[in-house]
Amino acid sequence: MVVLLSLSIYPLIYSVTISLQAQTAEGSVWSISNFKRLFSDSFFLTAMAHTLVYAAAALTVEFLIGLGLALLLNSQIRAKGFFRASLLIPMMLPTVVVGVVWRLMLNPNFGAINGTLKHFGLNTENFTWTASPRLAMLSVIAVDVWQWTPFVFLVLLAGLQAIPQEPYEAALIDGSSRWQTFRYVTLPLLKPAILIALLLRTMDLLRVFDQIFILTEGGPGFATETISLYIYRTAFRFFDFGYAAAISFVLLALTNVISTIYIRLLEAKEAS
Amino acid sequence: MRIHIIVAACLFVVLVMVGCRTTPQSQTAKQLTLAVNSGVEGDALKQAALDYEKQTGVHIQIAEFPYANLFEKELIDLNARTGAYDLIMLDDPWFPRFASRQFLTDLTPLLQKRGHNGPDSDFVATSIALCRNPYQTGALYALPYVGNSQLFFYRKDLFERYSLKEPNTWDDVLEAAKTIQEKETEGGKVYGYVMRAAQGNAAVADFMPIFWAFGGEMFDTAGKPTVNSPEGIAALKFMLELGKYSPPGYASFNADEVGAHLLQGTAAMSINWPAWIGSFNDPAKSKVIGKMAFTTLPGARKTGQAEIGNWLIAIPKDAQNPEAAIDFLLWATSAEQMKESAKRANPPTRKSLFQDPELVTRFPSYPAQLKSLETSRPRPRTPQWNEIENAFGIFLSKANSGELSAEEAMNQANAEIEKIIQRGQ
Repeated sequence: MVVLLSLSIYPLIYSVTISLQAQTAEGSVWSISNFKRLFSDSFFLTAMAHTLVYAAAALTVEFLIGLGLALLLNSQIRAKGFFRASLLIPMMLPTVVVGVVWRLMLNPNFGAINGTLKHFGLNTENFTWTASPRLAMLSVIAVDVWQWTPFVFLVLLAGLQAIPQEPYEAALIDGSSRWQTFRYVTLPLLKPAILIALLLRTMDLLRVFDQIFILTEGGPGFATETISLYIYRTAFRFFDFGYAAAISFVLLALTNVISTIYIRLLEAKEAS
Repeated sequence: MRIHIIVAACLFVVLVMVGCRTTPQSQTAKQLTLAVNSGVEGDALKQAALDYEKQTGVHIQIAEFPYANLFEKELIDLNARTGAYDLIMLDDPWFPRFASRQFLTDLTPLLQKRGHNGPDSDFVATSIALCRNPYQTGALYALPYVGNSQLFFYRKDLFERYSLKEPNTWDDVLEAAKTIQEKETEGGKVYGYVMRAAQGNAAVADFMPIFWAFGGEMFDTAGKPTVNSPEGIAALKFMLELGKYSPPGYASFNADEVGAHLLQGTAAMSINWPAWIGSFNDPAKSKVIGKMAFTTLPGARKTGQAEIGNWLIAIPKDAQNPEAAIDFLLWATSAEQMKESAKRANPPTRKSLFQDPELVTRFPSYPAQLKSLETSRPRPRTPQWNEIENAFGIFLSKANSGELSAEEAMNQANAEIEKIIQRGQ
């Protein structure tokens, strides 16, 4: 309890206090200026939009591919164990390593990706990946998909394997099509697993930091700056802990709201 | 049970006694704690500390941090007034922030006590100016240890092949970049120029020499930002023009990518820091051995000026042993000791060492480095530099990645810098 108090509750209260204080010549005074500043700070608003786009895009792709893979590897195919094991490798690598490796692969001049494309006769002059304002976001999303789809896959596969055989047999007897079986048997029974996968991924995606920091440092020209990077910069580069705390609370609130919506949504469907 | 209690009590007493014995020892002047960055500059100071320990018996503890963490670590410690460090290494752009908040010890009284009127006149004037707050005129809060300033790197062999003369102006640079990129076609493409325009420090460092040469100034005399002056916009337009001869993707380049292009021989010119010079003659890394030349920065409307980037050493205000710290500081920055550091590839901050025959034979670029350092300029001296550099770098990077025009980028940068300054008041 003491440990909990000192390591978690105290810092929380402290961060609330500093976010509600402003530094003036006379010392700290109570003020909501940090929260007011959020609305006129174009860097903050852009970083927020980037975070939402990043999370939504990565989550959708990761979920669809993860579900597809889980269904595929839940069926009877050869060398299942090998595929399952190799799919998990990206997830087990430290994010920093993944970031550095992809940074090298995405290098427009020496990187493996442009090298391969060139080999097939493509003109790679315009494929500057992390350096292009249009491709940079796509590149960082692709790296996240590469690394974290296996996680979604793993959770969904576990969910699929926990579904008993009986409902399928019943569906078969009732003469339901493959799609109908998937839609009315698999999906509803998989819902708890889906909920957990989506919830954990969303929370992770909203606070993404390391890969982007290594791949682009938020650039080029702010194109991939997310909230966590901006918080880091504000706190440790500009030394404005109060404002950084204020931004963190917005992120916390957002994560809370989105998580609650998920849970409600899935619970409601289950009830109906 | 009773025996347990007695044993525990005895142990406690012993521990307390040991504790009491060690505390006074650590408070004597026989121990110093140093915060250094992990890198060649910090390594030199670490080595010096070991030598000093052998000579004098003063025990020196080293706390080593990577560049990015060193600033956080020092600022947190100095802010909390822990007195954990007796000496800190700092990069010169951090200095205004530390000095303006009264975090550092004024060195002059300590020097006077030892019979010096001020810092040794052998230090390069631009380096010692960095150690004063306000710049050049104020009190002395540090001594310069490593004397970096930007240099202009170019490929001697290519310049000779196409009978180009050493570039004096940025127009010469653009001309040469065009010529080389168009004519040098055998054995793979060579880009005329390579720059770093990743947002933040990188883009700003590569832009400032162009900005200054074109007559741009970041602030007017009243302290209002003026990056969107006609001169500033012209400078950015020139940077974008030069960018056409830089490898694709340079808007995300940092020092590593620029270094790689130069070492691989795929780019002909760049602005860079002296730390890279050594690697060009390393056969394991370099394809351009003996082909690089180094000179001072080109000019335009004004004479070219390099950005200075010195490592300084200061004594925190709450240092526990300021007297022992200044003795070590004077020793480490003496000509004799700085020569050792120079041999470990750190440019010195003393004129006599830049002209030392032994060192010049070993580092032929020293005359150019001294000239560059003596005419160099510091980054604008404001405690809010980190924030301003970040914002400015974002807009420079946006212009270089094609997202904004030069005018838009400079106007938006100016507005953002103005906001930052207002917040600081």
